[in-house]
Amino acid sequence: MRKIFFSLLKKDFKLMLSGRFFLLALGSLVLYSCYINFVYVKLDQEIYPVYVYDPQNRQSVTSEYVARADSRKALEAACADQYSVGIDFSRDVPEVYLLSCGIETIDHCRMIWGEAILRGNMTGRADTIGANNKEMKNRREITAEFLFFELSAVGFLGLASMLFKEKQMGVIRVHGILPVRRSMFIFSKLLLLLGADLLFAALLTILNLGFSYALEVLPAVLLQAGILSLIMALVGFLCAVRLPDFKQFSLFYLVLAIFVTTPVFLAGQTGAAREWIVYHPMYHLFAAMKSAYFSAPTVDIPYYLICSGAVMLLFLLACRTLNREMTKEG
Amino acid sequence: MIEVTDLTFSYRKDKQTLHGLTFSVKDGEIFGFLGPNGSGKSTTQKILTGILKGHGGTVSLFGEDVRHIQTQAFFQKIGVLFEFPYLYANLSALDNLHYFASFYPKEQRRNAEELLDELEFKKDFLKKPVSSYSKGMRQRVSMARALISNPKLLFLDEPTSGLDPAGAVLFRRIIEKERKKGTTVFLTTHNMLDADLLCDRVAFISNGTIAALDAPRNLKEKNSTHSIVIDYLYQGKRKEQTIEAPELKAGIPFLYDELISIHSQEPTLEDMFIQYTGRGLV
Repeated sequence: MRKIFFSLLKKDFKLMLSGRFFLLALGSLVLYSCYINFVYVKLDQEIYPVYVYDPQNRQSVTSEYVARADSRKALEAACADQYSVGIDFSRDVPEVYLLSCGIETIDHCRMIWGEAILRGNMTGRADTIGANNKEMKNRREITAEFLFFELSAVGFLGLASMLFKEKQMGVIRVHGILPVRRSMFIFSKLLLLLGADLLFAALLTILNLGFSYALEVLPAVLLQAGILSLIMALVGFLCAVRLPDFKQFSLFYLVLAIFVTTPVFLAGQTGAAREWIVYHPMYHLFAAMKSAYFSAPTVDIPYYLICSGAVMLLFLLACRTLNREMTKEG
Repeated sequence: MIEVTDLTFSYRKDKQTLHGLTFSVKDGEIFGFLGPNGSGKSTTQKILTGILKGHGGTVSLFGEDVRHIQTQAFFQKIGVLFEFPYLYANLSALDNLHYFASFYPKEQRRNAEELLDELEFKKDFLKKPVSSYSKGMRQRVSMARALISNPKLLFLDEPTSGLDPAGAVLFRRIIEKERKKGTTVFLTTHNMLDADLLCDRVAFISNGTIAALDAPRNLKEKNSTHSIVIDYLYQGKRKEQTIEAPELKAGIPFLYDELISIHSQEPTLEDMFIQYTGRGLV
């Protein structure tokens, strides 16, 4: 059994090589890393503005990012943009005031930001959130986004192009009469793609976060990358087997990219969110990936249960679709 | 080897493809399954090879119901040559064969190079990718793939398709050789010459039913008009006359100076095909 599986892996590896899958992944890795290191971290992005209402002058924080408000009303008005963070020192217990922007992860980041200021452990630097300075925040954020994009789009396309080749050559049907379990045919592709995606995730994280920071977040990042990789590979498998030609697949890919992932990116990165985004499955995968990069991994049991269920369901569907493909005429 | 009783199958509820096929294939027999496109040949073969499920009636292979023997052990006993040469185009002939052979136990596998040599495959193409092969070369590799596991039951779909006449003769010789080794062959083809020369028995399938099943010779005899065409010279003129075979008992029943040829008028297998299926070969 092990030898048979190794044969399938070897064949799939050769197919991926001939399809220039690894070259494409390497190109993406270089391109993303260059962009992050030479362009993105040098962009002066606005960090959450902080407004302090401190009538008794109890705090002595001075920073270019911290502005003082004259009254509670002024503080609330300043924070009405759903982006700024307000801190009210007028009572005995200081209060963080912020209006939710509708996106849990961004609100969470803003909360951490406010707490850091409240704790007063910034040693005079208002651009520090916990252990993250502004540059590291940017690095984590953009690396998470690039990894999500790579796994959900490029990886998906990579597996599909490999399958289309096998479909065009007709060899998928040959596997129907070989003494090999059909699930192994799918499993070998999944494993190979998962391995390639995890390696990509590790390299991208190390190259852009630095070794020590990467080590800290990698277990959680690899877990999320693995979940996303499996889900996308299985969706890619289903589409490639079901759709008759690459043209239709390209159209489907375009629809997926525009209508499925764009709202997720918009919701995750900007304030342009809609309430319905919480029902978008990709949004939760994206949020989990981002949380992993910010050392706040998702621990929701339902999330993992749903992900496991989705992987199992997609795998069963893929087996069924493969069986149907094998019975087709030449 | 193969026992099929009242086999039915439908792809859709409203359209039945097979309407109760009954036939059997003996051990070591070459059985021809002939019929026009869309008659149910491929569907039957897919049911026999375990690819298609959900049939009615009973189908048993190697003495067991096909529904219960779709195991690895079953697939190790069969070899299939598809109508089209399905191969990995980016791999060489040897890589393809080594890959497909790796699914079978080592002691069962045949040597890929020897097999290709037997199929007169050009040696300088052994390590070149399949994408650079001609159709005939691809067909040779496909045949080698079907034979690589030393199958007990061989399903061949249009084995001589894409081959030149010498290649077709070679393939027929190899199929005969397999039969001599005890392999049972289930041959699906449109090539009536292949069927005539190779098959012990043939079944004509039309619209999901078996229209006729017998040895090619018997079928031809059954449908023969028993007439004889005589070509002769009489008074310096060449003439031709058709008579019934029994008339010859008393000698040639007309005057002639010289006989040129005497031919019996037997129908060909192609005539049988048209007669039983109602459709000509394209």
